[in-house]
Amino acid sequence: MVVSKMNKDAQMRAAINQKLIETGERERLKELLRAKLIECGWKDQLKAHCKEVIKEKGLEHVTVDDLVAEITPKGRALVPDSVKKELLQRIRTFLAQHASL
Amino acid sequence: MPPLSSGQQGGEGRWQPLEVPWTHTNIPPQCVQPCCRPLCYEQSEHRLHKSSQMKMEEMSLSGLDNSKLEAIAQEIYADLVEDSCLGFCFEVHRAVKCGYFFLDDTDPESMKDFEIVDQPGLDIFGQVFNQWKSKECVCPNCSRSIAASRFAPHLEKCLGMGRNSSRIANRRIANSNNMNKSESDQEDNDDINDNDWSYGSEKKAKKRKSDKLWYLPFQNPNSPRRSKSLKHKNGFSVCTSASNTLPLLFSSSGELSNSDPFKYNNSTGISYETLGPEELRSLLTTLIFLFQQCGVISEHTKKMCTRSLRCPQHTDEQRRTVRIYFLGSSAVLPEVESSLDNDSFDMTDSQALISRLQWDGSSDLSPSDSGSSKTSENQGWGLGTNSSESRKTKKKKSHLSLVGTASGLGSNKKKKPKPPAPPTPSIYDDIN
Repeated sequence: MVVSKMNKDAQMRAAINQKLIETGERERLKELLRAKLIECGWKDQLKAHCKEVIKEKGLEHVTVDDLVAEITPKGRALVPDSVKKELLQRIRTFLAQHASL
Repeated sequence: MPPLSSGQQGGEGRWQPLEVPWTHTNIPPQCVQPCCRPLCYEQSEHRLHKSSQMKMEEMSLSGLDNSKLEAIAQEIYADLVEDSCLGFCFEVHRAVKCGYFFLDDTDPESMKDFEIVDQPGLDIFGQVFNQWKSKECVCPNCSRSIAASRFAPHLEKCLGMGRNSSRIANRRIANSNNMNKSESDQEDNDDINDNDWSYGSEKKAKKRKSDKLWYLPFQNPNSPRRSKSLKHKNGFSVCTSASNTLPLLFSSSGELSNSDPFKYNNSTGISYETLGPEELRSLLTTLIFLFQQCGVISEHTKKMCTRSLRCPQHTDEQRRTVRIYFLGSSAVLPEVESSLDNDSFDMTDSQALISRLQWDGSSDLSPSDSGSSKTSENQGWGLGTNSSESRKTKKKKSHLSLVGTASGLGSNKKKKPKPPAPPTPSIYDDIN
């Protein structure tokens, strides 16, 4: 039963994700998030951080993994609350609309 | 064979182990389940059906479960953020590897060069406003020094390549032809214009040379930007009106030639700058008409007779009456034969005249009287200098329409002292 529950959850999530993609909502959300992050200066902050990292590591030796490892946690942390709230709101709306379908 | 853990085995088919080792090709289509166990077709179909049913149930159930929903929402959000971060990382990495990552960095020294300027008198780039206004350039065509902001229009006209330059040039040519012509037959102009007073003929009126005589309202085509007032030799300024090409001839010289109809007292030093073009026009035409024209007001049309002073339709008495009406009791009828010096002309009377006369542009031409004599002969006209006498008749004046141009005033204005006519005449009593 636990497994089935897990499966259910997984399935549910899968289904929801599928729905997101199918309706194009995921893309829209992605674009919205990107736009908002640029607006609020998140991108510039992160870029400055990148520069530091790169200067540390040396221009020639930077790898994707390095960058990802350094930047992603900082990026997640730097997202402003307003953006987060708005996005969550939109997701919830979507779920409310489509969950009962 | 491991027993089936799921309780799905229905009665439809029994689990039958495959004897062939499991390979990709052995797997019947649409049979791959999440558990990756190969099933036969029917069984997999059944499973699929069941799972979708469950899904539906689950989803509707999940609608009631807010915490789960919230968890899912958070998960989705986290996914999106991670996507963005990753995307950013890839961009940066590419920029680093392609070498354009650090391009937008400028050293602080050059940054200072482009700082926003906030000083008075300068714009944000630090440039001075109106810097080029005071600068002067030398025109390559005429070698004159021109202000920078006027350079382009000047060049246009100088080279003759602008839109208006050809028009101006044509006008100049036309006018210079006119001037040449007018100098040659000044006498004829006097005759022509005596009996043809009309505003329409103003345009044909010839312009005289400006050094001898002064134009009143006109725009000298040779200098399109001539100043508005023409200074008389003795400081007498007159307003010009561009539309009115009436040339009025004033001369300060003592001897009156045929072309100098007026002689006035320069000491009065009247400035006409305060008069508008309309008033000026009326002033001039009034004076001119009354010097050279019959002027008797016809009862029928209430207009002044435009014939010459020898007009047979009206008597001298009538003419005198009219003049007195307008100019005061000391007004004198111009005489045709006597030659007198007219050296005092009170312009204030004329100004009073203006206020009393109404003008309209219509012309009331008497038929051109070829038989009338040349009015270029001596005529006398004396006006009372006492302006208080000139307003004895305060009747509401009739609507007078005076027409004509002042061109070709070929008559001399000379005064013959005469006793003033009886005061307060009524115009309409005398006119029959």
